[in-house]
Amino acid sequence: MIRTPLRPLARILDARKKGENPDAIERENLRIRHEQMRDSARTRAEGRLLVLGVMFFCAFSVVGARMGMLSASEPSEPRAQTQGASIVAARSDIVDRKGRILATNMETHSLYAHPQQMIEPERTAKALVQIFPELEEERLIKDFSGNRKFVWVRKKISPEQKQAVHDIGEPGLLFGPREMRLYPNGALAAHVLGGTRFGQEGVHSAEVVGTAGLERFLDDDLRDPAREGRPVQLSLDLTVQSAVERVLAGGMMLMNAKGATAVLMDVHTGEVVSIASLPDFDPNDRPAPPVEGSPSDSPLFNRAVQGVYELGSTFKIFTTAQAMELGLVNAETMIDTKGPLRWGKHKIRDFHDYGKELSVTKIIVKSSNIGTARIAQMIGVDRQKDFLGKLGFFEPTKLEITEAKGGKPLLPPNWSELSTMTISYGHGLSASPLHLAQAYATIANGGYQVTPTLLKQSGPRYGERIMRPDTAAAARTMLRKVVTEGTASFGEVPGYYVGGKTGTADKPKERGGGYYKDKVIATFASMFPAHDPKYVLVVTLDEPSENSGDKPRRTAGWTAVPVAAEMIGRIAPLLGLRPEYEQNSPVVMTSN
Amino acid sequence: MSYLEYSVKTTPSGWRKVLYLNWPIVILLTAIACVGFLMLYSVAGGSFSPWAEPQMKRYLLGLAVMFIVALVPIWFWRNMAVVAYLVSLALLLAVEFFGTVGMGAQRWIDIGFMRLQPSELMKIALVMVLAAYYDWLPIKKTSHPFWVLLPVLIILLPTGMVLTQPDLGTALLLMISGGLMMFLAGVHWAYFGGVIAAGIGTVAAVFESRGTDWQLLKDYQYKRIDTFLDPSQDPLGAGYHITQAKIAMGSGGWTGRGFMQGTQSRLNFLPEKHTDFIFNTLAEEFGFIGGFSLLVLYVLILVFCVISALQNKDRFSSLLILGVGLTLFLFFAVNMSMVMGLAPVVGVPLPLVSYGGSAMLVLMLAFGLVQSAHIHRPR
Repeated sequence: MIRTPLRPLARILDARKKGENPDAIERENLRIRHEQMRDSARTRAEGRLLVLGVMFFCAFSVVGARMGMLSASEPSEPRAQTQGASIVAARSDIVDRKGRILATNMETHSLYAHPQQMIEPERTAKALVQIFPELEEERLIKDFSGNRKFVWVRKKISPEQKQAVHDIGEPGLLFGPREMRLYPNGALAAHVLGGTRFGQEGVHSAEVVGTAGLERFLDDDLRDPAREGRPVQLSLDLTVQSAVERVLAGGMMLMNAKGATAVLMDVHTGEVVSIASLPDFDPNDRPAPPVEGSPSDSPLFNRAVQGVYELGSTFKIFTTAQAMELGLVNAETMIDTKGPLRWGKHKIRDFHDYGKELSVTKIIVKSSNIGTARIAQMIGVDRQKDFLGKLGFFEPTKLEITEAKGGKPLLPPNWSELSTMTISYGHGLSASPLHLAQAYATIANGGYQVTPTLLKQSGPRYGERIMRPDTAAAARTMLRKVVTEGTASFGEVPGYYVGGKTGTADKPKERGGGYYKDKVIATFASMFPAHDPKYVLVVTLDEPSENSGDKPRRTAGWTAVPVAAEMIGRIAPLLGLRPEYEQNSPVVMTSN
Repeated sequence: MSYLEYSVKTTPSGWRKVLYLNWPIVILLTAIACVGFLMLYSVAGGSFSPWAEPQMKRYLLGLAVMFIVALVPIWFWRNMAVVAYLVSLALLLAVEFFGTVGMGAQRWIDIGFMRLQPSELMKIALVMVLAAYYDWLPIKKTSHPFWVLLPVLIILLPTGMVLTQPDLGTALLLMISGGLMMFLAGVHWAYFGGVIAAGIGTVAAVFESRGTDWQLLKDYQYKRIDTFLDPSQDPLGAGYHITQAKIAMGSGGWTGRGFMQGTQSRLNFLPEKHTDFIFNTLAEEFGFIGGFSLLVLYVLILVFCVISALQNKDRFSSLLILGVGLTLFLFFAVNMSMVMGLAPVVGVPLPLVSYGGSAMLVLMLAFGLVQSAHIHRPR
């Protein structure tokens, strides 16, 4: 850059000549130079201002555009975008076969705290303890006054509690909506429904996960959004279930039993109309699994499905039915019943001595172990195994609850001829009451396999035929006679033909071999109406003892049968069966 | 060597100065303040107390301050620049020791009749001192490294002190407005390029290192940054303001729900509804039209400031006018972006509209300086 000198010699000399002050020239030049610099600075500044102006313009445009966008947006609550929304809270309802609610969801609230926003942590803790006495005040104070940002106080609270917490007036206490599972009928059908717990938990919702029973087995299905809230319909009938549980509870108390189960099943469709296990629990407040003692004594234990017991004489009908099916015997064939029957070092005895020989029908009616064992000898090991397998005694039942997998029958490790003989009258093979109901259903429906289910069916679901109809009919006649003239005489229900078979099995000792003398499992497997059965009902009492007489009576005829009879009398009308009048035969009291 | 070299003779004197005020700016300021009164009246549920009335009184006081400052010649203010800066710095230091804690940060100092926020004062003092600095500095030295370092220190000193209060928003704004002053004064591009590149590099390094062995920050710090940058991840915590603010704006739509009809603000869903988030109340009640009108008012003020600055041949004056305009713009832009979810919530009020004494008084004082520069400009 070429600059004009501040004191150009020519002009200075010129000024001196004119007698002017040459400094004025310098000042003038200095001023001009400054102005030039200033001007260049200004142009530069203006350039920069332009850049800034463009930036401002952009900023204003962005702000304006955003304002427009927001104004155009729907003022929707942003809940759908929050973290909690990823938790699918909607769980389908469960209803009974007539659409009555068994399990549903209820909106409650959870209570949590943001300690950083708390104004009076100590007062709040005090007030909270008054509302929820189970909380510890010291712990709350510690939580609230520490550095924690978030503290769960209660996972679910009632509307009254919510109001009370509101009244504390603490801004650091907050509520979150929470859907919880509600079983409006309380303990009714508790073992079927099982229960739920909270899975993944957020502030806005919590995942409800099935922990047991149907809730667990059908968890994915119940949570499937594709169901769109359509309920899962069960085969259970709420009224029948209620009556069954009531009678069973009363019977259990009268018979001093420690546990009891009942299974009521439609013989054609396999639908389980009622299934109960006592003692039970409230699925709304499912207890924790026991830490000590036998799990089978816990209320959580489903005796009907998980409990495998030697079911005793109820098995005899399978032996005779198979023998008739194979043409080895007919109802009137006479069988040697002279006792005791010796097999190696084992002896098979009868409860009473029934003399030299009995007809097959009488063997069932009187419940002769020796007679049954003799028939089993005719059948043989392999054929018996095959038949019991087809009746479903080798596999856990396929009921739609998690516990069903656990009900695996106990089979003899080495199926000898002796095993065949003992199993023929129900010892040496343990199965659940549901297994028994399933097998009886085959006799009741004319010889078809049937799979028990808890889901409502539209029609019969027969499996493979494993018995001729005439065999099944003959077996049913025998079962009817057990009630009219045999061990189950208390099973007579006015107005209804009931057929069935009793079974009393000594309970094996938990430790070591052998059996208790005074602890039995008493079972009555029945079907009604006997001539054309629609339902089978299996009632089992654990360690019953009927003490009205001189000495305790424990046999099924005295314990399980009257309970089952009372039950049938109550539920048959509920199931839509009309009484078919008949002459009541005089009550004959026999047992076993 | 700036002002006195020009002819002083044509500069108005005495009460005639009032005629030479930049009246458009006064009118625009009053209009914006009136919007503020209206909104404060509305959020109080149709009542002048507790916000609208004190705000009006403060505005009147602010107006008086503006006139007084405007009538004092600009060269006096230029000479006071360093003093103002030092006093603000001292107050910032004092707030560290004697300040009152409010909203989790130590920002206020009680001076009897009102509570003063020294960081507010610093905004203006910083603009003044930088304008005076570049007026004093020979132009050819502007980009000399040493003479660049000096203003950087001038900026960083108060910024650091504000940051410890802690008030991240104001600190960032101080830094940005100081940087923009330097940019306007003509500091070489390369410096800004360097700073911006270094900033981007640091941020990139911090994020790149995440999850690797040489991670620069702790995990929870990253999480905090995440929530800071994207508050929607924590809709009930950090994101709550934004969420509710967006709902308010959406419910306002194009024409708004009508004066005093806003639900979000009236039902107390909207936090800080009378201070930082007052714009949402406006947007809900007067819709896009109302919000955009306010935007236009701010733009107009800025335009008049730029015009005034371009008319002014005095370097200090034009830098000061631009600096004040910039500060206004920055606060406005950051607040707007914040309440509309474009920027993180940093706690910057909407100038002149939000309820608050210090901010209003300081802003009026700043515009007093602008007026003074306008009146006493060389002619």
